[in-house]
Amino acid sequence: MHHMAVRPPVDDERTTLFSLRQLAYTYPDGTPGLRSIDLDIFPGDRVALVGQNGSGKSTLIRHLNGLFLAQAGRCSYQGELITEAMVQGLRQKVGILFQDPDDHLFCNTLYDDVAFGPRNQGRRPEEVERLVHHWLGEVELDQVMYKPAHHLSYGQKKRAALAAILAMEPEVLILDEPTANLDPRQEAVFRRLLEQFTGALIAIDHDLLFLYGLCERAVVLAQGQVHHDYSFQQLAAEPQALCEHGLDFTFRFTCCGQHYHHDQYHHHHHGTHEHEVAGAHLHGESQQTDPIIELQHYWYSYPDTTPGVSNINLSLFPGDTLALIGENGAGKSTLAHCLLGLHRPEKNEGFYLLEGRPLARQDYRQLWRRVGMVFQNAADQLFSPSCREEVAFGPEQLGLSKTEVRRRVEQALELVGLSGYAKRPPLHMSGGERKRLAIAATLSLEPEVLILDEPTASLDPRSEELLLQILADLPITKILVTHDLFFVRQLCARTVVLHQGRIIRDYATHEFLADEHLQVVNGLDYTYKNSCYQEIQALQGISLR
Amino acid sequence: MNFDQAHVIVLNGVQTMSLFSCLFLPFFCALVAWLLKAEESTSAGQKTEPDWSSPVLDRHGQGSSLFHTWAPSIKIATLLIAAFVIVSLHTLAWALTALFCCALCVELTGMSWTRPLRRLAALGGFLGMLVVIVPLTSPVQSGETVLVLPGLPEWPYSLAGAHLALTIVCKAMAVALLMEPMLATSSLPQTLQGFTDLGLPASLNQMILLCHRYIFVFQEEMRRMQRSMRVRGFVPRTNIATLRTMGSGFGMLFIRSFERTERVYEAMLSRGYQGSFPAEVRQKITNMDLVKGVLFIMIAAILLAGDRLLPLILF
Repeated sequence: MHHMAVRPPVDDERTTLFSLRQLAYTYPDGTPGLRSIDLDIFPGDRVALVGQNGSGKSTLIRHLNGLFLAQAGRCSYQGELITEAMVQGLRQKVGILFQDPDDHLFCNTLYDDVAFGPRNQGRRPEEVERLVHHWLGEVELDQVMYKPAHHLSYGQKKRAALAAILAMEPEVLILDEPTANLDPRQEAVFRRLLEQFTGALIAIDHDLLFLYGLCERAVVLAQGQVHHDYSFQQLAAEPQALCEHGLDFTFRFTCCGQHYHHDQYHHHHHGTHEHEVAGAHLHGESQQTDPIIELQHYWYSYPDTTPGVSNINLSLFPGDTLALIGENGAGKSTLAHCLLGLHRPEKNEGFYLLEGRPLARQDYRQLWRRVGMVFQNAADQLFSPSCREEVAFGPEQLGLSKTEVRRRVEQALELVGLSGYAKRPPLHMSGGERKRLAIAATLSLEPEVLILDEPTASLDPRSEELLLQILADLPITKILVTHDLFFVRQLCARTVVLHQGRIIRDYATHEFLADEHLQVVNGLDYTYKNSCYQEIQALQGISLR
Repeated sequence: MNFDQAHVIVLNGVQTMSLFSCLFLPFFCALVAWLLKAEESTSAGQKTEPDWSSPVLDRHGQGSSLFHTWAPSIKIATLLIAAFVIVSLHTLAWALTALFCCALCVELTGMSWTRPLRRLAALGGFLGMLVVIVPLTSPVQSGETVLVLPGLPEWPYSLAGAHLALTIVCKAMAVALLMEPMLATSSLPQTLQGFTDLGLPASLNQMILLCHRYIFVFQEEMRRMQRSMRVRGFVPRTNIATLRTMGSGFGMLFIRSFERTERVYEAMLSRGYQGSFPAEVRQKITNMDLVKGVLFIMIAAILLAGDRLLPLILF
């Protein structure tokens, strides 16, 4: 029998901010969302709402903002039942930040996006002006105040969305995955603003280390019910409860640290050019094998002239496990796309060598047979009506026989633990399952190199652990583009650090993990999370690894 | 074909080339536009990020010209009337005058000519075909002058037809040029607000604004999906398999777009949306706006009067 620990309901609803009694919700297609929720949230509470994907967290927060109304049971705010008639007033006091910032930024400029809420609150134009300037300044976006959202980077959009909510000066702030895909520097902006926020805070995040520093109370949801409701420290101190709910994040992480320097001199494995400066090419260490892929002085700029990567010298050897890390916008994904041959430089702006031979334009199709990539948003990669068709797509394009296609599909699905999912529509799968399906779709091409862009983004801890196991067992060359140092440490022997489109370090992962001053250069400040991690370990009575 | 009643001029090769050089003005414009585009992309590396900390009217339209400072509703109404007047002109001379006036308007905006020329280039193909086909297919009237091109005795080139075609070309180019001062000298929301003030339903205004915002998101999603297909070996061909794949892709995109609309709507509701966008401070209509409006209407009236009355006076 699963042990449940919930707080007894409070009798006087007037002292509470939100009071939920036997709240239940079922989606129109019959999927149960919430079942018998009893929960009280008080003014000033800082609540972490945690649970696996599909546990009902998003459904619950939609009730708190009046987007969903109670089908059964009751849900009240400051003693008043949330009904159709009062939701307008409620929404002006309860701000909610959804996961995808593009959903929040629907106006033509950031200014209008941030002004949207205060204007709806009926504030005077001068006050709206003040709020917009203040909050865009707080999220360090005042220099792009009149820029359209589609010209912003992901991190900027995320911060702008937060500013749009905070400009309404809400009494309650609800956050759904606020830090997904953000680098530590941008995460720090979120943390600073959320720590300053004086109202009630309700946050959903799979990054429990982020929540640990922010929330005092943890509400664990499972299958639409509240299973635990106690202090975050209590939750963190109970490894069993964490495991039962797939939230065990204590298998994670980290640490950091040396001064950065940029090598002026470099080594190439294959001669393609000479430099004017004598001795610019160093003699490299002798390798037993030649690199599969070698980039030499590789430059790429986007069509709108935004610089992507600059002067990249990188060799990838068979069996390498490489991590590409750096702050948001450092050029990690761009470099991954260069390795995949999607971003090709202008003439004379670098060399791409595949097994020592410069890659010609007509060779790229061959390259994609040998290098596969799982993109950041798995949904982008999935377009077929069933898992079988999705995984079979690549092999079918290669013109393989039906028997071979079937063999590859079965093998790939089995590798990622999705045997038996062949007929399932990808659309109906969870985030973690979709990610694994995207990996299977790539693996069915039997690539020699697998590139994974932010593989852990938006995955719950159980899905992360499963993914870690799958990747660890894959006997091929792997490149991880990630902010997740735990995955870097567990999976990668080599780490390449990018900053402003350039490789600033390329060394063994154990050297990277000891690089204490790296954060000064590029904002990779993981020490905060490291201290959270150590505190949690102390709570659990575990000696530091 | 019988053109006994017509005045027939048989052209030699040089005359034919000279004629077509004049008639293919739109193609020439297209070429210029293409060259400008090439120039733009070569010098792209020298561009710097614009200053986004102050309001930007339009990517090409930061300025203080008489069009930039004109209240959008009056500007749109006036220039729309002017456009209708230009379309109603009959004579080539006045159509050319209108074209000159519109070119002057573009110049007065102080904006780059790249975009207007590109717009003309887009029209170039259609207008070029008009210049070729209308004179060759016009019925020959009695007393009309026709040109017989070398090697094409059966296809007389009607000068009346060429006159008509060139008049249409000039009018089309004039209206195309007028779009620039009318639509590109205010931001999209301001322009749409101007249309709303003129009677366009507010909901349509909002829909256009949201479309403009999310078209980039959907474009990006489509690009990413196509990229995923490409790196898994997909090559579009004219076969059923390609159609099926494209169908699946578009179907998935549609579902995701639908899901996004729901999420955006929820985000709007959660920030107090009650069915209409909160009003910004609108640009007030000043006397100067009205004076500008009257001035442009007068110019349009002169064009129309000249077009209609001058032939009557002269002939």
